[in-house]
Amino acid sequence: MKREPKRGLNSLADTDALEDLMRAANRGDSAAYHRLFTAITPVLRKVVRARGAALGHAGCEDVLQDVLLAIHSKRHTWREDAPLRPWLYAIARHKVVDAFRARGRHVAVSIDDFAEGLPATAGPDPMEGRDMDKVLGQLEPRAAEIVRAFGLNGETTAETAARLDMSEGAVRVALHRALKSIARLRERMIE
Amino acid sequence: MKTEDLIMALSADTLPRKSVVQQLGRAMPVAILISIAAFFAFWGPRPDIWAALGSAAVLKTVLPLCLVVLAAALAQSLTHPGARHDIRSAALGLSVVLVLGVFGAALLNAGGAGLIAALSTPSLLTCLLSIPVLGLPVLAAAFWALSSGAALRPRLTGAVAGLIAGGLAASVYSLYCDKDMILFVVPAYFAAIASISVIGALLGPRLLKW
Repeated sequence: MKREPKRGLNSLADTDALEDLMRAANRGDSAAYHRLFTAITPVLRKVVRARGAALGHAGCEDVLQDVLLAIHSKRHTWREDAPLRPWLYAIARHKVVDAFRARGRHVAVSIDDFAEGLPATAGPDPMEGRDMDKVLGQLEPRAAEIVRAFGLNGETTAETAARLDMSEGAVRVALHRALKSIARLRERMIE
Repeated sequence: MKTEDLIMALSADTLPRKSVVQQLGRAMPVAILISIAAFFAFWGPRPDIWAALGSAAVLKTVLPLCLVVLAAALAQSLTHPGARHDIRSAALGLSVVLVLGVFGAALLNAGGAGLIAALSTPSLLTCLLSIPVLGLPVLAAAFWALSSGAALRPRLTGAVAGLIAGGLAASVYSLYCDKDMILFVVPAYFAAIASISVIGALLGPRLLKW
């Protein structure tokens, strides 16, 4: 039987250096930032699922989203001249442990999980979480609308701005603030 | 919400966030001004302040500031995951050992009776209460700034925030304090700074959560 090749964050080295993507993201390049998230998310998902089988896929997806939000809201604590992986591991490990602890499960996350990746689970992968919809419901309607516009509808800043009759700058600031509130609300939610 | 959709929203938000150092730079001056204002309102400088600043007693003011610099450097790396902090911890540890060494030498000279005599003064209580009180605004500012970082060890980071606050408060308080003996200054200031550091350690896990 052919084994699935082991995949992990290390295998990303041959595509784009994560550091380059993050540096570009820090300069305002959303496309690079999106590629960074796309690259790291499958690995993080495996780590979370391996630890949290009891939470079910939706529960695991919630934890994963907590990790992604943490990466986003703490990205200024990465120094541009440092390698990204150790920073990423540290953020992810902290958040995974924290999220499981808050959900009543004590887990120890070893760094090997991140380096090696884990065999994929069988069956279709539902990648939808539940927590986020509750949190969006607590936001001011317009803020929630803006977050949804980028996600569900895949709108660009210009499109959202035109539709909501706001300036692009105002949309950027509103999105920035909305994501900050989301991170804060989810923090409270899992306490 | 699908994770993919969340990623779309996250990657659209590329507005920069303020660094921990910038936040410290915003909050600290305000807190220090509050401390200094409180100092002039309720304590005030000792009468022989200029003579004291020209003597070895100036070390009471300067050494706590060195502690502040070392503690701030350590706090900065503790809130940046992946940053190494062994050299900064070693520098902080070494400076404490040096001061305790000077104290030990003075103690050997004077003996236990000398220590008790030096500490048997109402100034001891004043010092133990004043430094934590003067340090509170600084502690609040330090926590506010450090919470924008990502502390992996919140208790330790909180304790270090306490050292920043205690060091600054001790430096301000030293302008009032007219006891200059090593046998008084080292144990009294040490205990006062340690107490605010303990407060920081207790608050850390709550305030530096992320």
